[in-house]
Amino acid sequence: MDKGELIKTATLAKLKLDEKEVEKLALEVSAMLENFSLMMEADIDGLEPTTQTLQQENRTRSDSPGSSNLSNDLLERVPEREDRFIVIPNVI
Amino acid sequence: MKKYREYVEKWERKIGSFLQFDPEKTKGDSNPDGVLKGIPFGVKDNIALKGFDMTCGSKILENFNCPYTATAVEQLQKAGAVAVGKMNMDEFGMGSSTDNSALAETNNPWDTSRVAGGSSGGSAAAVAAGLVPFALGSDTGGSVRQPASFCGVYGLKPTYGTVSRYGLTAYASSLETIGICGESTAITRNVFNIMRGVDVMDNTTVDYKPSGKDDTQTIAVLKIGDGDLSEEVLNSYKVSIGRIKDLGYIVSEVELPTLKFVVPAYYVIATAEASANLARFNGIRYGLAEKSAETPSDLMQMSRNAGFGDEVKLRILLGTYVLRSGFQDQYYHRAQKIRTAILGDFNRIFEEADALMLPVFPTAAFHHGSSDLTQLQQKAADLYTCSANLAGLPALAVPSTIENGLPVGVQFTAPAFEEERLFRISEKLEEIFPAQKPEGFSKEWKA
Repeated sequence: MDKGELIKTATLAKLKLDEKEVEKLALEVSAMLENFSLMMEADIDGLEPTTQTLQQENRTRSDSPGSSNLSNDLLERVPEREDRFIVIPNVI
Repeated sequence: MKKYREYVEKWERKIGSFLQFDPEKTKGDSNPDGVLKGIPFGVKDNIALKGFDMTCGSKILENFNCPYTATAVEQLQKAGAVAVGKMNMDEFGMGSSTDNSALAETNNPWDTSRVAGGSSGGSAAAVAAGLVPFALGSDTGGSVRQPASFCGVYGLKPTYGTVSRYGLTAYASSLETIGICGESTAITRNVFNIMRGVDVMDNTTVDYKPSGKDDTQTIAVLKIGDGDLSEEVLNSYKVSIGRIKDLGYIVSEVELPTLKFVVPAYYVIATAEASANLARFNGIRYGLAEKSAETPSDLMQMSRNAGFGDEVKLRILLGTYVLRSGFQDQYYHRAQKIRTAILGDFNRIFEEADALMLPVFPTAAFHHGSSDLTQLQQKAADLYTCSANLAGLPALAVPSTIENGLPVGVQFTAPAFEEERLFRISEKLEEIFPAQKPEGFSKEWKA
């Protein structure tokens, strides 16, 4: 993978890589993609994709409030907040 | 209790299996009368345990104090077991050595210059050293079975969906399960039967539907090609074949035609799922946040870059790439079809045989760093373990021999829900060859 593609992918993944990391990761990503290309030899004609193995149908639950009572505990772990609001840098 | 602390401290100076250890912190959360009354256990640090930090071996969660407890852990506490600490691991479960932990190094109790395996290396090392009779791990592509084999203990990856993952930090959701490193078949079975069950907090849990055929007559044995295994592991594998024949099982050699494609298919699926699951670490709601960021996008990018280690970044990049528009058919969709093919391979084998025996890993425990096996070779070596994850099947690593002073295990897998079959085979092998103990092992303490 060339560096341009890597930087584009990193931007999509919200990773800001420095120049040294780009050099190193470009090689490692390329080595893995070469390994992935082995899959081209597999005969998969007529096979359906498997996304999961045992569950036969989607399972949903009723849209009603549960009782986890975790919200205060979770808010205490927010890096920066004001009362019950999470603070992030200015959007505009 | 004093003796226990001293014993653990003595070992921990050498092996570093715990990230946190406090045998009394959560004692009050355990039932004083359950069947596992007072039995101490370790919890891999990607599984929630209230009162302790949950770091996942990552800087991005280094000081994250966990506000709740995983269902699997709660079930064990209800049965009386006492969680005594959090076990070191490869960052977010990504690795085969525990060397990818950003927080500590874990050594193999049999030879401290070698790794304990990974990603549940802390769990396996602690059990091998006798610090706990069992420890929870997680297995996405072999992360319980491989360290169990490296450290000479039992390692179970249960059938997908049988143990609740509520409280397990997600890495690759369609593959991973909470698993067990145990000092014996008996405790591994007990812990599994206590932990499993449908959980309203995890919609991927399934009803447990074993066939009832718990005794095995026929074991298929995976055929090994020249150079597939190190000399030690090949020796050990041959010993295991001899033993199952001596035990009276009907043994037949089989091949898994899809095996050569499972590693790329596994890594495509695992990294794709990881790239989505790890999007939640963005410096906003919890974990490391780069204070100097001036825009929300900067906050995410800077926090993730400072908080994730090299291997995690590599896998996020790979996962993002294979899911990019234009590449999906070539990678992700193809991998899912190979997954169908490996399921077909297993189904064909289990029409003829009750269980399948195969190696765990091509080598015994390797040295720290990449001198014995590069990171890429370590990934390629996942082939024998990751097949069971792709197919959702139960698989158990069983201690087999000691080769040049290092333990080597062998693996058994069976159709979904047939864990009992695996335990029965394992028990018979345990009578012939019980798990060996490293020098310095003792059970003189009482927790």
